[in-house]
Amino acid sequence: MKVTVKCFSQVKYALGTDDLVLKLDIGTTTEILEKVIREKAGGKLDGVSLRVAVNQKYVPENTELNDGDEVAFIPPVQGG
Amino acid sequence: MIKIEIINSPIIPFISDDNRQQDGSELVFNGRVRAKEHGEAIIALEYEQYVGMAKNELQQLAEETAIKYPIHDLFCKHRIGRVNVGETSLHIVIWSKHRKEGIDALSWFILELKKRVPIWKWAILVDGSRIPSKCDHEH
Repeated sequence: MKVTVKCFSQVKYALGTDDLVLKLDIGTTTEILEKVIREKAGGKLDGVSLRVAVNQKYVPENTELNDGDEVAFIPPVQGG
Repeated sequence: MIKIEIINSPIIPFISDDNRQQDGSELVFNGRVRAKEHGEAIIALEYEQYVGMAKNELQQLAEETAIKYPIHDLFCKHRIGRVNVGETSLHIVIWSKHRKEGIDALSWFILELKKRVPIWKWAILVDGSRIPSKCDHEH
């Protein structure tokens, strides 16, 4: 299955891209994908807490992903 | 009534309404860009949003605020893109019968905005470089 990872702020800075399209095994969870993203960042996201949104809604940890999902690992927000 | 706008241009304030006869309190808040971020001089902030989710979260938060506190109306504009030092990035107006519920609602709304609405700041430094803001507190 394929998912799109949207990158913002520190995630965008660490990965150098606005989004990634990744091919994942069926049953992949947000927790597994977060590990993949942190590995790709090569340590630049160490110490950065990330919340997860799937299809533009916050989801609990370890949510199972589906084909076509849009995932965002959301660093601490800073509006205002 | 709730009114939420995320805009990519200078904020034009909501018009003060002299026809309200039930609202004894009209609170106006303008959040402005300071000249320093974490002690470092900047010339501007650039606000980034998660398009779609940011507006949905802001709308939901405003609706929750109006349920949690007995206010009548909450209007909010958040600016996205480059905002120079001194300019307004966030504009909120809350109307309520008395000031206390309005002040409480305003305080909670901003606190929650800074926890859950997916908007981020990039600092534009004096040399023109652009880095993610380190600011992740709830001031």
